[in-house]
Amino acid sequence: MADKEATVYVVDFGESMADCHNGRVESDLDFGMRYVWDKISTTVAASRKTWTIGFVGLNTNETDNDLANGGELEGYDNISVLQPIGPMSMTELRELRSKVQPSRSYGADPVSAVVVALTMIEQYTKKLKYKRRIILVTNGESKIDDEELDAIAERLNESKVELVVIGIDFDDPEYGFKEEDKSTNKKNNEEALQLLVDKCTDGVFGTMQQAVEELSIPRIKPVRPFKAYDGPLTLGDPSKYESAISIHVERYFKTKRAPPPSASTVVVSNGVGQSQAFKDEDVDMGGTGFSGVKQMRTYRVNDPDAPGGKRDVDFEELAKGYQYGRTVVPFGESDMSITKYETKKSFTIIGFIPYDSYNPFINMGETGLIVPQKMNEEAELGLSALIHALHEVESYAVARYVQKDGAQVQILLLKPNPGLEDDFECLYDVPLPFAEDVRSYQFPPLDKVLTVSGNVLKEHRLLPNDELKDAMSDFVDAMDLSHYEVDEDGKPLDYAPVDEVYNPIIHRMNQAIRARAIDPDSPIGPPAEILLKYSKPPKKLLDKAKHEIGNLIDAAELKKVPEKAKGRFGKKDAVKPLSGLDIDSLLGGQPKRAAISSENAIPEFKQMLNAAEDDETIEKAVKQMGDIIRKLIKDSFADVFYSRAAENLSVMREGLLGYEMPMLYNKYLKALKKSLLSGELDGDRREMWYKHIVGDGLGLITKEELDVSDVTEEEAKQFAK
Amino acid sequence: MAWGDDEEHRFGGDEEEEELDENDYKTQKDAVLFAIDVSSSMLQPPPSSDNRKSDKDSAVAAALKCAYQFMQQRIIAQPKDMMGILLFGTEKSKFRDETGGRSGSGYPHCYLFTELDIPAAEDVKKLQELVEEGEDVDEVLVPSKEPALMSNVLFCANQIFTTNAANFGSRRLFIITDNENPHGNDKQAKSSAAVRAKDLYDLGVTIELFPVSRANKAFDLSKFYDDIIYRSPAEESDTSEGVKASRSGDGLTLLSSLISNINSKQAPKRSYFSKMPFELAPGLTITVKGYMPLHQQKPARTCYVWLGGEQAQLAQSETVKVDSEARTVEKSEIKKAYKFGGEYIYFTPEEAKSLKELDSKVLRIIGFKPLANIPMWASVKKSTFIFPSEEGYVGSTRVFSALWQKLLVSNKVGIAWFVARKNANPAMVAIIPSGSLNDEDEDSTVPYLPVGLWLYPLPFADDIRNVDIKAPPKPADELTDQMREIIQNLQLPKATYNPLKYPNPALQWHYKILQAMALDEDVPDEMADLTVPKYKQIDKRVGGYLAEWKQELAEKAKEFMELRATKRELEQQDMELVERPRPAKRQKAAPGSTAGSRSSGGQMSNAELKAALENDTLKKLTVAVLKDVLTSKGISTTGKKADLLERLEAWIEEHA
Repeated sequence: MADKEATVYVVDFGESMADCHNGRVESDLDFGMRYVWDKISTTVAASRKTWTIGFVGLNTNETDNDLANGGELEGYDNISVLQPIGPMSMTELRELRSKVQPSRSYGADPVSAVVVALTMIEQYTKKLKYKRRIILVTNGESKIDDEELDAIAERLNESKVELVVIGIDFDDPEYGFKEEDKSTNKKNNEEALQLLVDKCTDGVFGTMQQAVEELSIPRIKPVRPFKAYDGPLTLGDPSKYESAISIHVERYFKTKRAPPPSASTVVVSNGVGQSQAFKDEDVDMGGTGFSGVKQMRTYRVNDPDAPGGKRDVDFEELAKGYQYGRTVVPFGESDMSITKYETKKSFTIIGFIPYDSYNPFINMGETGLIVPQKMNEEAELGLSALIHALHEVESYAVARYVQKDGAQVQILLLKPNPGLEDDFECLYDVPLPFAEDVRSYQFPPLDKVLTVSGNVLKEHRLLPNDELKDAMSDFVDAMDLSHYEVDEDGKPLDYAPVDEVYNPIIHRMNQAIRARAIDPDSPIGPPAEILLKYSKPPKKLLDKAKHEIGNLIDAAELKKVPEKAKGRFGKKDAVKPLSGLDIDSLLGGQPKRAAISSENAIPEFKQMLNAAEDDETIEKAVKQMGDIIRKLIKDSFADVFYSRAAENLSVMREGLLGYEMPMLYNKYLKALKKSLLSGELDGDRREMWYKHIVGDGLGLITKEELDVSDVTEEEAKQFAK
Repeated sequence: MAWGDDEEHRFGGDEEEEELDENDYKTQKDAVLFAIDVSSSMLQPPPSSDNRKSDKDSAVAAALKCAYQFMQQRIIAQPKDMMGILLFGTEKSKFRDETGGRSGSGYPHCYLFTELDIPAAEDVKKLQELVEEGEDVDEVLVPSKEPALMSNVLFCANQIFTTNAANFGSRRLFIITDNENPHGNDKQAKSSAAVRAKDLYDLGVTIELFPVSRANKAFDLSKFYDDIIYRSPAEESDTSEGVKASRSGDGLTLLSSLISNINSKQAPKRSYFSKMPFELAPGLTITVKGYMPLHQQKPARTCYVWLGGEQAQLAQSETVKVDSEARTVEKSEIKKAYKFGGEYIYFTPEEAKSLKELDSKVLRIIGFKPLANIPMWASVKKSTFIFPSEEGYVGSTRVFSALWQKLLVSNKVGIAWFVARKNANPAMVAIIPSGSLNDEDEDSTVPYLPVGLWLYPLPFADDIRNVDIKAPPKPADELTDQMREIIQNLQLPKATYNPLKYPNPALQWHYKILQAMALDEDVPDEMADLTVPKYKQIDKRVGGYLAEWKQELAEKAKEFMELRATKRELEQQDMELVERPRPAKRQKAAPGSTAGSRSSGGQMSNAELKAALENDTLKKLTVAVLKDVLTSKGISTTGKKADLLERLEAWIEEHA
């Protein structure tokens, strides 16, 4: 349930707000609006109809507010409601943008503006459940009438309105800011506002420097706790065994991956406009801008009688099914559920394992947390006993979990957290893999070398010697993050704890999107420093570990592998089988393979190229391979030989890249394309071109890829069309 | 499909920029051809024995059983990958009979039993009949008088790969034989075979040899196979994974030994990333490759089938992008934009690129921490395995090994910034070592996983959910002591969780039914679900303790409840004292309802809810309170008041 919010921004537009102060190159208004726009755009981004915003201008040239309009009250001049409270979308944002500029006016009372805002909120929210807030931004040059502060504060409290005053160049000893040459007028006004805030039950008084600085600290979108499970956690089967125990628990998510903002696929719709933000088609197209793109699916089946061997079928003609290998098994709509494993909601312990038999890297995903049902004494004491017992014998429980009827079975590892440090007694759970989720990969051992002849070596160039081991040990210890910094009490501070590291992409994208929404014409700024803070070791640590790093570099004796030397001719390192037998000489001994055969084209082409000692041989090989490719395509019924032809082509491409003869390939490909698209190769061969050649990246060899090519990237792109 | 409670994962209508390369990585297809030697020694049944556990299979039978299991696993785990079975040394010869192919005489004593392809139901059935029922109707398992020429076998395999698995990223030939020297001293035959083996190498086919050793005699590779086998191009170092001979003995049957050797090669070793610069410190970079030994396997998705022809046929779908006027949109017109406040915010492709590119592909250590400093709840995603490679920096392996050893010894982990590829979203990872330094400790805690370093993704602050509930710790007591006994008596076998013992029942059931339907067999109505706890054993082992514990719990809970009631009463008395002067207005919020007197419905206990249901006072709750209650129970709060009430009533009846 989205909480309802009503926030009114009161911003000082007075003529002094147009000046720059304290060495800033932007005006006070621009400086303050940085904060305000950021807040407003965050609300816009949330797209929630119940998060409403109003905007009041202080020191506007005109006067437009209900209190002054009535004509009975004084002291409400030069205060204008620029936007009544309501939901905020891009339309309102743009309108508001055009209205925010410094005025020639001065002297309107900020506290009066707060009262205007308060009245707006009272009228809009009535007695309903709302989060109410007034945010006042001013440089404090405008005179305040401080006679009625008590009454106003009382009214604010009564209406449960939070008052936030963010002053430009206001003093804040806590943050550490003091304006030295402050005018007496400003000083008095600051004091009056501080007094007002102090009288409010819910009030914040701060300086703009701090507010702006904190804008770069990412804000995390709060997500409501989601209860995934509410039911018994059992040990044994209570339906069959009297001994079985059952504890009523609730399970919530502890971690859940937050996705970065996702882009939609759009096209520029008719009547293109130049501006960069436009209405969503769902809302109102307005005749210009971007519109969403939908996917349309068509279905085809093989049909030997149809041209190209395939024909379209209507969706209505299709049944649903599953594949078993390459056999398709059609299902009627009613049978679809038959392959679904029937499960009942349950959560039951399979057994226990000691801490040390578990490795965190077998976790398959996100964590949950398990607490007893509220106000259920048996559950509270029972679960607590389980948690303490697990903790004492250093064990985890392994459980079978079915979130609800019909959900998939999961195996969860339950870890006890007796709440000794965080005062939160619970079980944490992580999913474990099933048999099918494990792929068996073999790797050679890291601490010994097994030779082909079966010997075990403990000293080898692939193994670290003692010097390297010692250097590594010193390096790792020197680079320790867990205690290189200490807090005021001398207790070690853990560097980069999980809850202080923000997802850089999410916040980078969000910041850029908000900035673009507020000001479509500005270029994208650099990412906020805090987002890249953990991309490198802290400098202080590196300085400290300088000596150890140097030692490790010396002991490692690493050598960078030079870029592949592309020797043209001459014998390359011959590839040999385990025995080291020189196959090439065997080949040489046999009657020379005169021409490349279609059936064994790839090995023979490679071998011919490898043995080549002049351009002529290579040209010959390419010519032969080229003919084989054309013949394969020509003989292909529908697409049966296409992948084979494509593989041959890719081998040719690779070979010519190696010999730095891109022209030969490009020439062949140009001719091939012509033949493919002209129907010269016995029919419609466009699929070969688009899907297999362009799709597999077998296009022209460009200059970027190989220096000696004369084809530019752009040409290659055009050619691929 | 109804597989999920993973709606939160599923993306909306918009096309997402997913993590592409994991998918790219899967599209690299694999083709495996089994080449099984059918000689009289391979066919010889094992000596009979009374021992129930002794061998019953000839080597050929064991090989075919392996192939059968391999085929079934492949259908589940790698549905896009191919396999085939070629028998050699057979009296009969058979290659494909389609026109254009070679006739059977081209490869004497080679019998292509299963064509290299994605297995079909018929293939499974045919192999099943041969393996399980021993129905060799075509008499293929008859050895020839003269052995097959290995050059022929290899070229036959070459042709099968060339035509059937063109453009496959991984092509592997599994040779199963007990003959270390098929050609004796016949030099000509040996060189021909070596040449054909080189052809296969050039074609990108890896030969995996599964030798069967007889009577504890080692299989001598140098006699013949050293000329045939190449080190796979992926292994650039001198190290060798070694060829393991399968044998019977040591309590293992030949079949289980062969299965374990072949299973270890089930999945082709595909790297998830390679040439990854691993920056240990400024000026110290090595290269590593990444792998994904853990991957959540899901049942295949439904497909659309066309039934208009003679055979059910899979309909291939193609998507076209259309705009709001149903006009087909060209690829060049497509732009990416972000929804914001009901509109689209647009970045040029260059801007979008620069936004995503925070760093280039790198794995960079920023420091080290004790493993214990990683909170136990800090898990979001499966880990990636890394292993050194010498492709970028010579010496990478020894530095990697030194780091691995140090982390194991000190029980520390590296903390690193990780960008898996250009434009990938950066992640923070803990680098955790697997394996053990102790040579004797052969069965380490995770024998099914490789030894090296793991990149364990750490959650970001954004990924942590704040759960706004209180769970104050309670002191340990007698209940804890009793529970300890229970825990210690219910350890899993070998005191570890071995995933290989727990097949996913949903997957198993899905494919079991599917197989039955595809093969036209009876659909089973039951299946052993190995994830279900052994209830009987639990009762037998700890039934007594459990009963005692339950009784104790009931007593303690009663005491606790009474204590609470007294406390509440006292509090209420205090409250009343305070509350008396309050205006009557306040009580109008929920007249006559005990439930409503609490400020927040989320705090209502189940007992109170139940009472409210029985007294029919639930409907007097305001919508706001109702929503609070529902939210606290994790129930949807959409709809009208009547809907909310209905949902809450249902919940109370079920739970309270």
